[in-house]
Amino acid sequence: MSARSAVVVRGVKKSFPLADGMSLEVLDVEHLTLPGGTCTVLRGRSGSGKTTLLNLIAGVAVPTAGTIRVDDTDIFALPEARRDRFRAEHIGYVFQTFNLLSAFSALENVMLAMMFADAVPKRRQRQRAAELLARLGLAARLSHKPPHLSRGEQQRVAIARALANSPPLILADEPCASLDARTAGEVLAAFLAVCRQEEKTLLLVSHDDAALGGADQVVDMVELNRTAAHNGTA
Amino acid sequence: MTILTVALKYLQGRMVASTLTAVSIALGVSLVIASVLLARGIKEGFTEGTTDYSLVVGAKGSPMQLVLSVVFRMDVATPNILYTTYRDLQEDPRVDVAVPMALGDAYQGIRYVATNSTYFAAFPWRRKTFSLSVGRFFRDDPPNTPTYEALLGAEAAIRTGLRIGDRFYEGEEMAEYPLTVVGILRPTRSADDRAIFFSLSSFWGMNEVARKMEVKPLTAVLIRPKRMSDVPSLHRELNVSPETQAVLPSGVLLTIFNVMALAEEALTMILTIVGIVVLLYVFVSMYSATMERKREIATMRALGARRAIVLSIVLLESCALAVVGGIAGLLGGHAVAYLGASLLVARGGLVANPFLFGVLQPVVLGSVILLGTLAGLLPAVLAYRTEVAENLAPLS
Repeated sequence: MSARSAVVVRGVKKSFPLADGMSLEVLDVEHLTLPGGTCTVLRGRSGSGKTTLLNLIAGVAVPTAGTIRVDDTDIFALPEARRDRFRAEHIGYVFQTFNLLSAFSALENVMLAMMFADAVPKRRQRQRAAELLARLGLAARLSHKPPHLSRGEQQRVAIARALANSPPLILADEPCASLDARTAGEVLAAFLAVCRQEEKTLLLVSHDDAALGGADQVVDMVELNRTAAHNGTA
Repeated sequence: MTILTVALKYLQGRMVASTLTAVSIALGVSLVIASVLLARGIKEGFTEGTTDYSLVVGAKGSPMQLVLSVVFRMDVATPNILYTTYRDLQEDPRVDVAVPMALGDAYQGIRYVATNSTYFAAFPWRRKTFSLSVGRFFRDDPPNTPTYEALLGAEAAIRTGLRIGDRFYEGEEMAEYPLTVVGILRPTRSADDRAIFFSLSSFWGMNEVARKMEVKPLTAVLIRPKRMSDVPSLHRELNVSPETQAVLPSGVLLTIFNVMALAEEALTMILTIVGIVVLLYVFVSMYSATMERKREIATMRALGARRAIVLSIVLLESCALAVVGGIAGLLGGHAVAYLGASLLVARGGLVANPFLFGVLQPVVLGSVILLGTLAGLLPAVLAYRTEVAENLAPLS
């Protein structure tokens, strides 16, 4: 486990403009630190700002105030194009509904992530994608397109895609929420095992007891998000 | 994996829509190419097929009909004039060369043209030359002793299948006067390729009415004056005469081209509308494709794709559709032009080579690619501006 902080969130606020000229604040996080190589589970009810926080850390949404440092880089100090490149190389994102590209095979979905970063040489990309999928039990499904994969298999492909560029940080937004209990357990176990083996820093939004059991720290969004506490969301 | 392979994968993923879009582009391009090639081919056909003679003298009537029938063999022959008109013109000091012509019936749709050897003679001022691919020219036989020797134009020989020595006639009443093939001309890229030539004497011998006439009939006389400055006076005098008219073939050609220009203007308008409809179709296709996959675009952005990359992917898709549609359209357009030209030639029309490659093809293909890509610009900008966080939310 690395001693340094992989993610530092400081004074981050996020609000959305309303039609009447006012704005709605949905997130207010004073401080959050994710130590390198650890697994942090983020929990909280719907609407408590979990996905918003993940999007901010991923750099796909811009905070209204505050700073977010990933691997000692203030990601919002970077111009957008460089932030995109930084995200491709440093952050893997696993979505709740997989978000695989339907026209692409499992292998191509994983290779697609490598296209946006220089982490894996072109001639090795196919091999790397095949290896990752094999590790997640999909060696026989490389050429299958998402509609021909089960939901559990689709989420494994999404996990392989998040790991494709060997990013130090993995963000996972309820990765097993749309799976049945048995499949969710299998997928989560495989996911956590790979992250541990590769010493990834993992921020996992989950309500699953199995995830909580494997966590180095559990953060409750009600305590973290001061706006959620005030609004009584929790 | 590259941006191009991603774009092609997306096109492949919606194969039916992509194919229909490419086909619509191909149809539009085919229409443009075929129209332009045929219009140009017809125009060049008229220009190449026109006569080197300055005046065409025939019976009073339509100047257009006279030139179309005598020079282009595209209309029914005008009424006859007398052989003496030819004699008078031959003796006129202003006339350098006069060629008598009589147009008769046809054999298997190939027009009979009676004339003398002057018609095939080479002169310094003459662009057109006649040469034999096989056999010899027919003899200038004297009146009343016809030899019924026939000389075939290149295409006439192919279409009738006649060879040297073959005897032929059309209609039982002509069985007494069969023509004998003595020669076949090389192609001249004019209406003469689709004609069967023989002597005036043979013509008069075959024609029952002409046999009985003391002064034999002609359809027209082609005139080349010694000096071009004599053209106006000859033109005036022959038109003042109650029996004859003199027509400047170039003037008739100009009239034909003016009529064609009007048709071309209308065609240009139609083609412009077709082009706009095709571009709109490409735009709608790309727009709906982009709207349908906003979530996938947001996913790509979340994976680290820069805005420029998603913009490029959409532009490459519309560009690829335009390239495929454009190339298919070029090929299809040439095929349609070829079929159209064959049809026109079979019906006696004049069309020059419809496969002339020049600036047209690269300009059309370049324009199609440019406009097709531009049609994808707005959808590409939409993809560029896709809000990532908003579009990543799970579908309800």
